[in-house]
This record gives sequence, structure tokens and C-alpha cells, in this order.
Amino acid sequence: MSEQQNYEPKIVAFLCKWCSSAGSDLAGVSRIQYPANATPITVPCTGAISPMYILSAFNKGADGVLVSGCHIGDCHYIEGNYLARRKMHLIMQLIEFIGVEPNRFRMSWVSAAEGAKFAQVVTNFVDDLKPLGPQDKLKKAERA
Amino acid sequence: MEKILDKKQIDDWINALTDWEVHAPMLQDGIWTYQPVSGAVRLDHPNTNQSPKGFAFPQREIFFSFEQIKGEPPRLTQILPKEQRHAVFGVRPCDGRGVPRMDKVFTDHVEDPYYNARRKNVAYVGLACNKPPSPNCFCLSVGGSPVSTDGLDIQMTDMGDRYFVKAITETGKAMMAAGGKLFAEPAAADQKQVKQVHADAVAHPQRKINDPDGAPAKLKANFDSPLWQEMAQACIGCGICTFLCPTCHCFDINDEVQSKAPMKGQRVRTWDNCQFPDFTMHSSGHNPREGTGARLRQRVNHKFQYFHENFGMHQCTGCGRCISGCPVGIDIVTVVNKVTEHAG
Amino acid sequence: MINIQDIRDTARDMLTKGEVRTVIGYRRGSRGMLAEPVFITDPAQADDLVWDPTCFHNLSLYLVHDRKFLTHIRQNPGVPVAIVAKGCDARSIVVLLQEHYFKREDIYIIGVSCEGTGVVDERKLSSQLNGFQASNAAFDGDDFVFTTAEGEKRLPAREVMADRCLECRVPFPKEHNVVFGEDKTGRQLEAPFAALTRFEAQGTAERWSFWQNHFDRCIRCFACRSVCPMCYCEECVVDSITFPVTTETTAEDKANRIRWIERSATRSENITYLMTRAMHLAGRCTDCGECERACPVNVPIRLLNNKMEREAREQFGFEPGASIGGPSLVASFLDNDPGQFIR
Repeated sequence: MSEQQNYEPKIVAFLCKWCSSAGSDLAGVSRIQYPANATPITVPCTGAISPMYILSAFNKGADGVLVSGCHIGDCHYIEGNYLARRKMHLIMQLIEFIGVEPNRFRMSWVSAAEGAKFAQVVTNFVDDLKPLGPQDKLKKAERA
Repeated sequence: MEKILDKKQIDDWINALTDWEVHAPMLQDGIWTYQPVSGAVRLDHPNTNQSPKGFAFPQREIFFSFEQIKGEPPRLTQILPKEQRHAVFGVRPCDGRGVPRMDKVFTDHVEDPYYNARRKNVAYVGLACNKPPSPNCFCLSVGGSPVSTDGLDIQMTDMGDRYFVKAITETGKAMMAAGGKLFAEPAAADQKQVKQVHADAVAHPQRKINDPDGAPAKLKANFDSPLWQEMAQACIGCGICTFLCPTCHCFDINDEVQSKAPMKGQRVRTWDNCQFPDFTMHSSGHNPREGTGARLRQRVNHKFQYFHENFGMHQCTGCGRCISGCPVGIDIVTVVNKVTEHAG
Repeated sequence: MINIQDIRDTARDMLTKGEVRTVIGYRRGSRGMLAEPVFITDPAQADDLVWDPTCFHNLSLYLVHDRKFLTHIRQNPGVPVAIVAKGCDARSIVVLLQEHYFKREDIYIIGVSCEGTGVVDERKLSSQLNGFQASNAAFDGDDFVFTTAEGEKRLPAREVMADRCLECRVPFPKEHNVVFGEDKTGRQLEAPFAALTRFEAQGTAERWSFWQNHFDRCIRCFACRSVCPMCYCEECVVDSITFPVTTETTAEDKANRIRWIERSATRSENITYLMTRAMHLAGRCTDCGECERACPVNVPIRLLNNKMEREAREQFGFEPGASIGGPSLVASFLDNDPGQFIR
């Protein structure tokens, strides 16, 4: 099962600029060690994340998708994360409805000061994704 | 070569076709589709939801792959379909007639290597229509018939407890030979019965295009008629009529790119549809077929005027799928009749 | 009981007086028993109007077409268009009004309550007839009698009624200018979201197996999108062929335009398209069922949209098509929206 042991899930992480992206920077600056599986994409606010981005990330081969933003009440744009909370809930329900493992989508609130938390969130996500194996349900196939 | 096959032995015949991947209509989720045979075959279907044009002209096919390795010129690799013979059972005569019409475009007119690579490996085993399978059939109006053998390799006629099986091409003969002793010689009574079954089939009432011969000229004369927008008012611009049709063949070609650096992907052909609003959209934003009337006119003219002008035959084979499938009731028989009866 | 003559008289009357410029309704089609949309401008044509359980189309789609056409020709006739609307259709109109697609005074709603009779589901009928088609239908009390090439077949209405009609709570068009028929249900109904509940009893693997089979069949004819009144975007996200250009747009821009999914009708692309559509309809879909009816390959599209509708109702207390005022589902929030899933 060495293939299984070598499997590294690919995570696409949509991080809001003001909190979570800064939090991930803090984790880096603080030299906190955590798995390097997440590819960060900075967005102005989680409220600006269209569900299309999540679906497209899975379509392009992501094994897991993380959305992370400011805590409720702390959104730089006041209401963005409230809207995200709703939209992400819907997309999460839809993903589960189709029969994709619900653990592949994750959402977290990580502030700019929570470098350690960010590292923990990613570590936990990687651990939870490994047993699920590569995502091939929504992934665009090369051949028909 | 004409033989009799007991209905109970059709599975034995299919099993004997070891060189072939055999497909037959199966009912799945409420629709009849061609599926690879994996159990008993019954051939008691009306007509399939989609035509068998997909065997030679699939919804998606890859032309070639491209890959750029650093420092080298881009590598193009042609991807031809793998060599596999396909036998399609239960093909209705209207779909059979669709085959030479597709061939005209992809083989007679232009040698399409991908279409031809598939086409030479497909055999169409037809099933005559003792009764019209659909209330919207009109094959007799477009030069066809419920017992036509045009485009087929074998014609089967349902005679109750047995089939009358007739080879039309050399391929058909070879397929029947593979069945060997399963086939019996037809008796005089069988010959008489099949003639009667065929005569009854042709006499069975169908929908009618009143003036199919006058259609090309009348369609031409009515190009600018406001009738088109009127008849197309309910049209929603979906792709059902075209995709279900046995002779519609427009396609789109796109590059599907897996990665940009290094450059890697495939060039892919997919079905396209003149009823989509952006089919004729120019990159300037101008669209010469802006309204549903213009697009309906295009499809009907292609079937009953342009193809006729190019090849001397109507492209439509009267299967009726576009009529049954249209969600809003647009009906090509009514449309053609209205136009041919309209002065102008 | 609906008297069709009342509907015809209303239409004729309003057209004659010039109070409306067109009446969008149903007439007998040329395909045997099914009704089809008709656009009446001449009062004499009002007698073509019909009303029966094959009037399943959601005609509010044509209000959208009308609006787009008027925008395109830059005209405002100032006279409303009339539309025959069932309860479900009237809810679609409410959503369009809520989104300010047109003004209330631009439309005249001739509401018709199906009184719980519902509409025929062609699929259910087809499966009862082994895939053959009916050329005629007669409605005999609680039964339907269909004529096919094989003879006549009598079926209890409940077996051929659309699922959405069996689950419908409100057959009466609440938003209307004039209404025919009573606010009542005539038949024993299934629980709301019954079809959805049956599906959700399955585990992850079974769900995937179900959807995989259906997504493989999708041919991307886009009928589901074309028939939906809410899918009114000029350029669809997943079909980004139309690319707004100016004289400054370079060839490279055009070649590198964003393409969310490929044109190929492969499973992954089909899923992405249908899920995107479900998300874009969350809180807007009023379950008119047209997407599923129009689908030529029987993909159970309605289940996807229904799932979103159920989430909207149960998690967020939001009901699509309930009132003209008020915000949309995804542009609003409540303090107590569920958030336990967020770490």
C-alpha cells in the first residue's frame, strides 16, 4: 500500500485577505510546521466566493476545498461572512447530496492573529482527507 | 440471403457474433437507449430516444492530443478510435435512412478520418415497423417507408414468433453466416406472410407532409415571411430537436487544456446546435440569426431545401423525434405544411 | 370547476378593449393530446384557449422572452401582456417581480387554479405505456383514459400526476389580477418533498451511484436552462461562449476567455453545470418542474433544485415565490443562520 502512504491530498484554500490569509502568513512567519498541501487563493472576503469557485476547484482536481474567513462580527466589509455562511452551507449540502464525501469541503473562521489555528485547521484537514483517497467524482477526466 | 430466425434464438445469434460488440435498445429510467447487450434481447421497443448516429458520430471525440515538453517543438499525437466492430440491433428504417445522409456529409462530401474510422466498423441491423412506433412518424412523406432497407446491413421483420431476416450488404451476409444453423430457409408461406406484413405496414396511416416535392421551392420563396417568427414564438432555443435527430451533424471543435505550463491538452469535437442562440454569434457580437424564427427557418430549410439542393433528397427521414421531444410543441410537419400552403 | 369559456371570454374582452396587447395561454397542439403555448393578439383567436391537465408549461418564461425582446428593440408599448398562470406559474412570476425583472403593471395575471388536479407527467405516462406515446387523452373523473397504438388504457390520476403536483401545497395562484377556480386541493396528496425524502434515505455511495448514472446520460442540450424562467442571464456562466467584445478586445483575450466547463457532455462537466445551476436557483426556483419535464433523457433535475428549496425553507425559513417584496435568499442572512459546520 505504498501508493496509499505516498498519497498527498491537494487542497485549494480560499482565504479572505483581511483575516485568514493574514493568519496563514502569521503561521509562516512564526515558523509553525504544518503540511504543505494547501494552495492558497486570496479573495477580498469570503462573501465574494461564488459557489462556482468551489465546484471549479473540484472539477480541476482538488481533493479538498477549504474556505476560511473572519469570525462572525469581525468581517472587514461588515456583512460578507454572514452571506458566506449561508452560501457555503448550501454548497456543502449540495455536495453531500450528490454523493461526494462531505468531509472534502470545509469552512473555518481564522483571524489574522490565529496563525496556530490556521496550521491546525490545515493539519486536521489533511489527516481527514488522506483516508478518502483522490477525488475523482467531480474531476475533469483527460479522456472520455 | 433471406432466412427465418425463431425469436427464442436471437440471443444465440448475438452470442455467435463474437467479432462484434452488439448493442440493442434497452429501457432504462423510462427511455429507450442503445446499450451493449448483456442479457436477453427483445426488440419490442418503439424507437430509441436518440438516433444511432452516435456510433459513427459521437457526442464527443478527441482528434489529437498536444503536449509541449520544454525545449522541444509541441508534440501532436493523432488519436483515432480503436478498432472495434459494433453491431446495432433494432434500427428503425428512418434511422437506417439517416445513415447514408450522414455519410454524404462525412464521406462523400469530405473524407472525415474520424467519422470514417468509426463508420466502417458499424453494422446496422434494422427492424421493419409493422406499425408506426410513434404517433409523430411520417417516413412515407419524405421518400422513406416502414420497410425501407436504405442504410441497413440486415433487415429483420417481426412475424409474431419469428423474424424474417434479410441481408442487404456483404457485412449483413457475413453476420448471418455467423449464426449458421440458427437460421432456417423461409417457406413459401413465410414469403407470403412477410409480403403481407410489409404491405400492411406501408398502408398504416401516419402523419403527412402534404407537398414534400414542392417544399424546396416554397421554402425558398418564403424565406422572408413573418410566418417563421410566428411559428417559432414558443421556441425556447434548447437543443433537443437537433441532438435527437438522426441527420443533424453540426459540430464544434475546442481545445481542452489540462495545463498551460507545460502546455498539455486535447483537441475535441463535440455536437453543436443551430438552435442555440449563440450558434451564429460573431465575435463582434453581431448575430445574423438573432431570433427563434430565423433559427427554426434554418433547421427546416436545411432539412427540406438546402440538403435537397445539394444532394437531391430530403435530409429529414420522418422519425418524428423532434416533434415528440420538443417541450413546447413545435412540430416540423405542421411547419412545413403551413409554409407550403402559404402563398408567396 | 373551471369553465374554459370564462377564460376565453376574459381574453377576448381584454384584447378587444385594448387593455392587454397579447394573451399568453394554452391551446391544443398538433401532437395529439398535449397542450402547447399560444400567443393571442387577435380577439377572434381567444376560442383557441384550452385548459386541462396537459397544460404543464410554465408560461412565465415567455414574459421573460417578451421583456428581452422589448429591451432589444428599445420600445415600451405601455400596454400590459396577459398570461394564463397556474398556482406554480404565478409563484415564478412573483420571483421575477421580486427581482425587478419587469413591473407589476406590465403584466396581467389570469390566474387559474388547478384545484389540486395537477398536470400529467409524460414520463410516468410513458412508463405505464412501456415507452409508447398516447395520441389522445380523456379525463374521466378520477381516471385518465389514454389512446395509444396498442389500444386504450385507463389509469388512476394519482399514478400519472407529476410528483410536484402530488406534493403541492398551494395549487391556487395567490398573485393574480383575475382568478378562476377555487383555493382547494381535490386529491390525496403526498407529503411535501416526498420524492426528496425518499432519495435522501440513501447513503453516500448509493447517492453517487444514482447521480453518476444520470449525469452520464446528460447530452447538454440545455433544455433545462432554456425552459426555466429564472435562467434569464444573457450569458450563462457555464456556457461562456458569448464573450462581450469591444474593438479593443485582442485575439488572445478571446482565446483565453474564462471557460468554467468544457463543451463535452462528459460526467464531470455535466455535474458541474447542473450543480452550478442548482446553486444559482437556490431560493429562486418555485418547483414548476419544467426542467425535468423538458429533459430529453430523464435526468431527475428537479431533485437538485428541490434540495435547495428544502434547505431554504428548513434552514433559513425562506420561501421562494411567497412575496414580491423582500430580499433574495443568498443576498440576506439571519443572525441565527446555522454555523455549527464552521470550525
